[in-house]
Amino acid sequence: MDVVVQQTVNALALGGTYALLALGLAMVFSVLGLINFAHGELMTVTGYAMYFVLTAGLPFEIAVLVGIVAAIATAMLMERVAFRPVRNAGTATMLLTSFAVSTILHMLFQNLISARPKALPVPDWMIGALNIAGFDIGVIQLMSISATALLLFALTVFLRRSTLGIAMRAASLDFPVTRLMGINANMVISTAFAISGLLAGVAGVLWLAQRGSVDPLMGFLPVLKAFIAVVLGGLGSLSGAVLGGFTLAFIEVALRAFLPDDWLPFRESIALALVILLLLVRPEGLLGRKEAIR
Amino acid sequence: MSRSNWLKTTAMTAALAGAVFASGTAAAENFKVGYAGGFTGYLAPYDQPSLKGVQLAIDEINAAGGIGGTMPIELIVKDTRSDTAQAAVVAQELVDDGVSVMIVSCDVDPAVASGVIAQAAEIPSVSSCASTPTLPAAVGPYMFSNYTADNLQATVLASYAREQGLENAYVLLSRDTPYTEKLPEYFAEVFAAMGGNVVAVGEFTIGQQDFSAEVTNIKGLDPQPDVIMTAAYEPDFPAFLKQLRAAGITAQVLGSDGIDSPTTFGLGDVAEGVVFSNAGFPSEGSPLAAYEAAYEAKYGEPNDTVFTATGYDAMLVIAAAVEAAGSTDGAAIRDAWDNLENVQVATGTMTYKGQNRVPVRVVALNQVSGGERVHVGDFTPDPSQIPAP
Repeated sequence: MDVVVQQTVNALALGGTYALLALGLAMVFSVLGLINFAHGELMTVTGYAMYFVLTAGLPFEIAVLVGIVAAIATAMLMERVAFRPVRNAGTATMLLTSFAVSTILHMLFQNLISARPKALPVPDWMIGALNIAGFDIGVIQLMSISATALLLFALTVFLRRSTLGIAMRAASLDFPVTRLMGINANMVISTAFAISGLLAGVAGVLWLAQRGSVDPLMGFLPVLKAFIAVVLGGLGSLSGAVLGGFTLAFIEVALRAFLPDDWLPFRESIALALVILLLLVRPEGLLGRKEAIR
Repeated sequence: MSRSNWLKTTAMTAALAGAVFASGTAAAENFKVGYAGGFTGYLAPYDQPSLKGVQLAIDEINAAGGIGGTMPIELIVKDTRSDTAQAAVVAQELVDDGVSVMIVSCDVDPAVASGVIAQAAEIPSVSSCASTPTLPAAVGPYMFSNYTADNLQATVLASYAREQGLENAYVLLSRDTPYTEKLPEYFAEVFAAMGGNVVAVGEFTIGQQDFSAEVTNIKGLDPQPDVIMTAAYEPDFPAFLKQLRAAGITAQVLGSDGIDSPTTFGLGDVAEGVVFSNAGFPSEGSPLAAYEAAYEAKYGEPNDTVFTATGYDAMLVIAAAVEAAGSTDGAAIRDAWDNLENVQVATGTMTYKGQNRVPVRVVALNQVSGGERVHVGDFTPDPSQIPAP
């Protein structure tokens, strides 16, 4: 039983970072119909911003702040430079544009900074673990869970209470009608990218604190996981993305923890097979709306 | 003149011009070396540093007049974009460019793709840092390894663990690459053969950010492992190590050359005491220390990975083989290469004679102490202890 509780805590912490990333993807998808595959590169930008701040001898807290701001700025810049010009060209064009942005950023990181990973030392207090009621919980795990909870709460308040937030929810339901109501499309889309940048930045800090280094290609895998989470949760649904992130994490941790040794090589295949099974039962995703499928 | 005749004439003129051009370069007696590497994409962290080392070696050799003092080296570099199909295309381009020796990628798959093209053209090829010992046999008699083989490193690590009196090992591997899978398996094999007990073998996926499930499993093992060995590298190794130490597990951690990176030394307390193997330690007055100085002089920054040094080594070995062959003929170079003994390189010496094209070279053990690298020692394992690939 103890092991089950411990692994649940583990899954919650992992699910938090998945959820943050998936939510970022879903924010943009809900207003633009675009899965931004350059989303992971925002984490990388956070990493390099932190690296340069730390190299300049500034404290870690400032590096975190600068890293998150850099991710937000890059997300908005991405939208302005790459996606706005092709906004009316159809989703396939935008999808390919996002791959192009991702590849261009990879090459820039590799050739202008370094192809080798850059060390990102993390303060020692972040490495330890707390023992709560007999269960180990890492400081980073705890930060991950609390950051996710905090951001989800703040985002919910923003989306329910502020005019811009309500406009964004309306846009996710029906963008053309929302525009007819006099809502500025650029404003809504730009904000969606800014929020996705913020979420990627926070997820980036948490992931970077674990891995201790930043390298040019680090964003690829997390965005893939987030994509699976978004599809699982239901494309177009924000709460679905969060639920998808946690579900994916629970499936992964459970398989890694409890599969017999002989089965371990197949854990990823089993995890994806379970995801497909869930999608067969609910083709529109866990919380997806049928009409959200375009 | 009909259109097709006109085309033929043009093609022949072009071919003749090409022949004249080629003989023109031959008159200058340049020795052409082709490099098909992944300079962008996922292999860039390994192939880019290797290229820097190769270029440094060529600079030094050419400054002394070239191979044997008479034959300057001309390097033709082509990017495979870390794509296996492209690795074959690029290798064919290099063959068409008339290279005499080819250097190929650090990863086994593209190295094989390029290697078979070179093999078919009877051009010797070498992977700068692929460490899978079966690579040369998989391609054929014209393919050579350069880097410390996985089974060699694993043997040194296992012997060290047993000498330290460590009894119970936990091994963490990933089947995503031969390196992360085979090296720990070789370790487990040697560790058990030397009387140790392998308690459990765990698995991970490269890029998996969370190791809490594995760490929780390790905590539940009986007996508790006193040594944990993995060939994981960034970003997996630091994430694993942090979560391991956070859970209060204090077992000795052994790693391989993949973690020889500034990141490992920037991890702080959690990395304290970690022992890892690599291709050499730059002790005072050693050739490797001299190499590091030359590297810094050329590139204006300190060398931060051993892959530049092993790239440099590969080029010195090529030069030694060509000099011993006394010819630029592929078969002659191949035969001379296969008989090289004690070639002095940056990381020590290398011997190919009687080794089936997988060189014997020294393995250094290093310990992380106070964020610095401490030399544990240099080891050349007894061949009888090295597991068959």
